[in-house]
This record gives sequence, structure tokens and C-alpha cells, in this order.
Amino acid sequence: MSGIIVLGLRLVLAACLYFFLGWALFTLWKDLQTHGVSLAIRKTPPLSLTLHHAGGETSQRAFHQSDISIGRDPACDLSLNDDGVSARHARLSFHHGQWWAEDLGSTNGTRLNQSALATPTVLTSGDQIECGHTAIIVSIGAAIDPSPTIRL
Amino acid sequence: MNHHQLQRRLFEYSTAFLFLFSLILTLSPAVRERTWATDLRGDHWIGFAAWFALTAFASRVTSRRLPETDPFLFPAASLLSGWGLLTIWRLDPYSGARQTVWLAAALAAYLLALRFPADLSFLRRYKYLSLLGGILLTALTLIFGSNPSGFGPRLWIGGADVYLQPSEPLKLLLVIYLAAYLADRLPVETFDNLRAKSIRQIASIPLIIPTLAMTGLSLVILIVQRDLGTASIFILIYTIILFLATGKRRVLLVTAAGLMLAAFVGYFFVDIIHARLDAWLNPWSDPSGRSYQIIQSLLAIANGGTLGRGAGLGSPTLVPVAISDFIFIAISEETGLLGAIGLLVLIGLLLTRGLRAALLAPSRFQRLLAGGLTAYLGVQSLLILGGNLRLLPLTGVTLPFVSYGGSSLVTSFLALAILLRIVSQPEDEPAPLATPRPYAFLAGLFALGLFASALSTGWWSVIRSPDLLTRTDNARRSIADRYVRRGSLLDRDNQRITVTNTNGSPFVREYFYPDLAPVTGYTHPVYGQAGLEASLDGYLRGFEGNPSSLIWWHHLLYGTPPPGLDVRLSIDLNLQKEADAQLGEHTGAIILLNARSGEILAMVSHPTYDPNLLDETGEGLQTNPAAPLVNRAAQGSYPAASLLPPLLAARFGQDAPPAADLIHGFYNLLGFYSAPDLRLPVGTPSRFGEIENLHVSPLQMVLAFAPLSNHGILTAPRIALAVDTPAQGWVILPANREPLEVMDEAGARLAAESLQVADQPYWRYGARVSEKGKSFTWFVAGTLPNWQGTPLTLIVLLEEDNASLANSLGEALLLEALMP
Repeated sequence: MSGIIVLGLRLVLAACLYFFLGWALFTLWKDLQTHGVSLAIRKTPPLSLTLHHAGGETSQRAFHQSDISIGRDPACDLSLNDDGVSARHARLSFHHGQWWAEDLGSTNGTRLNQSALATPTVLTSGDQIECGHTAIIVSIGAAIDPSPTIRL
Repeated sequence: MNHHQLQRRLFEYSTAFLFLFSLILTLSPAVRERTWATDLRGDHWIGFAAWFALTAFASRVTSRRLPETDPFLFPAASLLSGWGLLTIWRLDPYSGARQTVWLAAALAAYLLALRFPADLSFLRRYKYLSLLGGILLTALTLIFGSNPSGFGPRLWIGGADVYLQPSEPLKLLLVIYLAAYLADRLPVETFDNLRAKSIRQIASIPLIIPTLAMTGLSLVILIVQRDLGTASIFILIYTIILFLATGKRRVLLVTAAGLMLAAFVGYFFVDIIHARLDAWLNPWSDPSGRSYQIIQSLLAIANGGTLGRGAGLGSPTLVPVAISDFIFIAISEETGLLGAIGLLVLIGLLLTRGLRAALLAPSRFQRLLAGGLTAYLGVQSLLILGGNLRLLPLTGVTLPFVSYGGSSLVTSFLALAILLRIVSQPEDEPAPLATPRPYAFLAGLFALGLFASALSTGWWSVIRSPDLLTRTDNARRSIADRYVRRGSLLDRDNQRITVTNTNGSPFVREYFYPDLAPVTGYTHPVYGQAGLEASLDGYLRGFEGNPSSLIWWHHLLYGTPPPGLDVRLSIDLNLQKEADAQLGEHTGAIILLNARSGEILAMVSHPTYDPNLLDETGEGLQTNPAAPLVNRAAQGSYPAASLLPPLLAARFGQDAPPAADLIHGFYNLLGFYSAPDLRLPVGTPSRFGEIENLHVSPLQMVLAFAPLSNHGILTAPRIALAVDTPAQGWVILPANREPLEVMDEAGARLAAESLQVADQPYWRYGARVSEKGKSFTWFVAGTLPNWQGTPLTLIVLLEEDNASLANSLGEALLLEALMP
């Protein structure tokens, strides 16, 4: 009789151990899930760039990714047909909750609001970036409708 | 769910687990003795109560002081320490009481360490001072060292029953020193840009020289003390911290190569390393010597099986130092593969959370410190687990949090407190990390080690278990005999010969007819088994003849075989007593055989011994020149040639002796060249082809002469007649072969009649031999073929030249058997 009682206790004992481990692992999994969800809802604010080319014409581009390369190279996200722009000229990236501008060692340098861009710098709406002969006005957040004007 | 709730939930599960553990331990004597009328165990409840109070308090303080800290580390560590504590209580209550006090001390140190300032800057500032202090303390053991057990390496310092092993806290100080030094001195580039510098450049800057010097200094002391386990831990900790700091895999390769070389050189030049490696590589060759420990620990794991024997129901005390180095084995035996895997997962949880703490640490120093502490816990756990499971050579170190040992427990809890302190500020940005590779590598290494340990436990506890448990050096078999009734040996009229007395506890084997000892043998915890006790062990122990479901059920409930089965022998105790009395003090053997059925009615071998007194006399019996342990009737080997003419005449007639190959064939048929096949240990037969130099046992001889009384038919011998099974009652144990006609009936009758004694219903024949200065007398007799009763054949062998004695006692015995 004692053997059967103790056999039952031994089974419950093993169950307790695995409840402990199961609960710990379940919590870890829940943690991972909430972490993933919180990362997923943290979206990159879209970036709209208004370009003023050397020739005087103006165009607009909107970006939804968190990393934008600027240069003469057609492979760049923002490819500029401008003699004063290096092949890989500058980079805009979103991290630590901010948009940052960074010069990639271009020949003629990058200027942010009329001063040379030496270190990665935080961008705000309305900032003006100059690469070669092109000026870029930054607008963060509200995406601008890509179709420019309404025909009257 | 917040951290506080999670900690409390885990604490509740731990409490339930340890409560049940204590309850099972309390009930274990009742299960073992299968009765409630026994003393239950209760002293370990002190340990449980102390664990509960201390852990509840420490848990509360932890979540109050560091509300944001890791919620898994403390519950996992406290469950491990409680599990260890109760296991120690189970193994040795005195050590359990001491460990309870140490747990209080360790938690006090833990709570104190939780008050450290968050950046741990003072640890960093006094790194040299503290490490040198630690080294000095360790060096003192060279002069003032002692060992609490009174022998063995003197690694402890202290007295008045309080001992400290300075090499334990030294590990902690070394980790702190290395983390602080490397965080201060290593150029930032090595963190931020691994490609910038190669290891050679780092080494060429005399950067790591001081760390090498300090680690080397500690190592020298440990090696002088022959504490090789701790020394290898130091080397591994140093390597891993350097690897974490530099990210160079070469660091690991160099150390691995160095350790391998050291093992190789040590194997040939250092005794202790040679012994350890030998015991690791070929444990089965020396199971009672150098590899005794490891074999016993594998046996313990095998006994645990899947579910374990239950707390208090295994025999882990058979494994030397089960409370410290081999505590994993004790846990494995009593909670089985399930418990062992649970323990490994707990350690894994602890290590992963430790590495996570390292990755989240806000500064380089704290990151290296957390990484180093985790490495210390992981390396030490894996070294001893691997040593216990024969994955690695054995190193005598403790299993952190679990093993007996105050210094180890305090050090482990201090390390835990520092880890918790480092990870207590989740809002701090983690320090920049050049590459996660070393941390991922370390995590992989730990996972691999734990996985290999789990697989290995499964291998020994489930797959190899049946083979291991039947080994004769498994003392659990004789422990089971103390609580399970072993089957009785009965004579042909069910008179008791050997029975187990179940009135006391533990049970005692009683031998009612000790003169039969050379035949029936003995079963003894020290001297093993002999005679019928050995050859019928399967039935007597209940492994044979019982339904396999019953065997399984008893193993599950009690870890023992079911009650054994009684065996009825062919021995007739009345005739046996008569034969014993006739032979008296003379050295020799007598067998009385039923010539038709092959049943052995009496089997005498003198001198004999009393197996009831084996405890006192066993040592002397084995070396006694008169060899009383040998069953002369079945295992003796005597020159036979001069007794064999009647047999040759019966087969080939009275003419000239036949050709040698005919004799070979005949002797082979009679069984002179093969061992008699019956459930009794017999001697090795002569080589095929021996004629003049033929040696046979009295058993072989009596079987060969039996055809003269049985119409030329050679009968098959039997000594165990039947076994009393629970399902079918008495079941006959048949002879192992069929009877065989070895000579024609007329020849047998002629031979018997030519040897007939006038006016008597039997024939007889005798011979005297001497060999190497020793004389032997053979006498053989048997009933005539026309005898109406049971045909009998009798053999007498005396180890002396005494034909008249052989004659008179043989004839008296035969007449007694024929006409009682």
C-alpha cells in the first residue's frame, strides 16, 4: 500500500518540477511574443524629400524604408544626376527613434542647413540638405501625395 | 504578469516540489520495509522549513530591492539549492544540518551583496587587492591546510568544525579581476572593431601579461595542492573571459590544445592524472579499484531508470562522496531521468539568463563580469556533470548551488547576487557590443554540454540499465535481499534446507542443514553467491518464473525484484544425513544417484563449512588449504583410469583393449570430456582424447556407471526438481537432455553380474590411485538390472588410501537406501 501511495507522490513530484520549468518557459515565450509585437508596431515614420535640382526643376520623393542612400550611382535609393554628387554620397537612416543624416565621405561634402555635415546628425522637418548642386528639403511624418497637383 | 508575481509563482512550484520530496522521504522506510510498523524519517523537515523561511525572505527582499531584475535567476537557484539540501539530508542528516546553516550564511551574503552600488565600481577599484588576498588565503592552505574528513588533499582552512575552501571564493575574485582589468585596459577598438587588431597584436602590447601572471600564480598554488579540478576551471574561466573580451576564437583553440597537451603529458608522468584518465577511458577493466567510483555512479543512474526510485528509496550512499561531487548521481537515482533532465534544464535556464544579463549590461566591465560569472557557473556544472556521466575525466568539483559545501554555496549565491545587480536596471542602454559571436558561441557550448549530459543520462538510465543492474558488483541486489523474501531450497519431501527468515528486519538467510553447504552454497553481501544459491538465483530471486508484469510492477514500486520462488531439490535429507555421518571427518565425496531418473538423492563433499557463520569465517574459508568451499562431488577432478575397466568390458567385451579412437568415442558418450549439464556449478572436464591421464569428477563417474544399473541407458542428471510459481503451482524443471543408450543391455547386465556381491542385490567395484604423492580411493556400487525397486548407483571418493573404509561406508549407505 505504502508503495502505491509513494508512487503517486513520485508522479506528482515530477509534475511539480515540470510545472516550474513549463511555467518559466511559457513566461519566456510570452515575453518574446510581447517583445516582437512591440517591435512590430514601432513603425518607421515615412520620409518625404523635395528636391530642387540645379536646373531649377523640382520633384518629390517619398520613402517608407528606414535606410536611404543618396548618390550618383543608379543603385542608390535616391539617385541624383548631378556632377557635384559622389557615387555614394550620403545616407539617411532611422534609429534610436530619430532620422539621421550622415555623409559617406563624399568629395564635395554634404551641407545641412548651410553648415557642413561632419558627424551623423538628427534631422527634423524642414531641414535642408545640399549635395552637390541639389538641395533636398526634408519632411518627416505625413506622406505627401505623390501626384503633384490637381489639374484645374 | 509582472516580475513579482512570476517569482512568487515559481516559488510556489518549488515549495510544492520540495514538500513532496520531503514527504516521500518521510514515507520511504515504510515502502522499503513494506510495512507501516516502522520508524518514519522526520529530521529533514528541519531542512525543508529552513529552506522555506530563508528563501521566502530572500525572495521578498530581492523583489523589493531590485524590482526590475531578472525574475528567473533567483527562483532557479533557490530550487536547485533546496533540492540539493534535501538530497544531502537524505544521504547524511549530519551534513544536512551543516548545509542548512551554510544555506543561511549563503543567503545572508547574497542579501548583503544585493546592496552593492549598481555600477559595482568598488569591485573594479580593488581588483588587485582582493585577488591577491584570495591568493594569499589559498596559499595559506599549503601551510595550515586541513581536510574536514581527516584524509585526502588539504584544501581547507579553519578549525572548530568550520572550514573554508579558499579556492571557491578565489574563482569569484579572479572573475572580478579579469573583468575589471580587461574592461579598463583593452583598447576600445577590440570591442568596436574586431578586425582592427589580431590576437598577436593584443598580446604584443604587454596587455594580457598581468592577467596571465595573476592567473598563473593562482594556478601554481592549485597545482601544488593537486586540486586539478579547480585548476582546470581557472584555466577555462580565464580563456572564456579573454574570448568574450577579444572575440578571438584562437584563444579557445590555444587553450584546448594546451589542455590536451597537459593531459597527454600528465598521463605519462603524473600519477593522479594517469589514474583519472585511465578510469575514464577503460572503467570496465578495473571496476573495484580505480574506476570504482565511476562504475558505482553509472550503476546508480541505471537503478534510477526513467521515474527514479523515489526519495530515500534508492541506494545512492553506495557511491563514494555522493553528497558533494556525485550529488547529481544521487538525484538521478532517486528522481530518475525525468528529474535529471529537469535539473539540467534548470541549470540551462540559469546560464541563459546569466548570458542575457551579460548582453544587457550597461558597461563593458559589467558585461565581462556577468559573462565571467556565468562562465564560472556553467564550466563548473558541466565539468562535474560530465565527470559523473563519464563524458569527461572525473574532476572533484562541486555542482554549484546543489552540492554539499559551504564555500561553494556562498560563492555561488554571491555570483548570483552580482548577476542580479547587473541586470537590475533595464532602462539603462546596454553598452555597445562589437559582435554577439562570443556570447552566442558560449551559449551554444553550454547548450551542447547540457544536451550531451541529458543524452548520456538517458543512455545509462534506460538503454544500458538492464545490463548494468545484473552486474555482480551491483550491491543493490544484496540490499534487496534484506527486504524481499528469497525463495527457499527444499528437499524432495519439502523439508527446509535453506530459507530466508522474514520475521526480523532486515531479513536473514538461514541454512538449516549446513553440512550440505558445498552443494547448496550461500548468498552473502560480501562473498557473493556459490553453489545452488548461485545457479538457481533467477528463481530464488524471483526474476525467473514470475510473470514479467509482476517483476515490472515491483521494480516500479520498490526498485526490487518480487518475492522469490521456492525450489524443490532431488536431495533426500534422510539419506544425505546418513551419508554425511558415514563420511565423517574424512576428506572426500559421495553421490547417490537414481540411475533411471538421474535425480541426485545425496551429494556429500567433505570438509564442509557453516554458511550461517560466513560473516566471521568467510575470509579464512577462501584461503583454507583444505578448500571447504569446493564441492568435491561436482567440481573435484580426480585420476580416473584405474576404475574404468568394468565400463570398457561392458561396452567392448572381455577381449583385448579396443583402439584408442573407439575409447575416445565411448568416453565422450559417457560424458567424460564434457561438463555435466544440470543446474549446479560443476568443474571443467578433461580435454578430449585423454585416456591414461583422464580426470573426472565423482559426478561424471557416477553418471557413467549408472547404465550398469539401468539397462545400458545413460540418464540425465537432475538436482533441482520443481519450482513453486504463483500462477501454476509446482512446475517441473526437466533435465537438460534426453537419456542416451551408451551400451547394449546384455553387456551392461553381464558387467553388473560379474561385479555382483554374493547374496546381495548390488554390484560393486573399487580402485586405488596415487598421483603426485597423493592417494585416492574410488568405490562404486549399484543395484543389479533385475532389482525391482528404484535403481540406484553410488560413488565414493576418498582423498586417502583407505579401501576398506570406502567399501564399508559405501555398502552401508547403499543398503540403507535400498532397505530403509
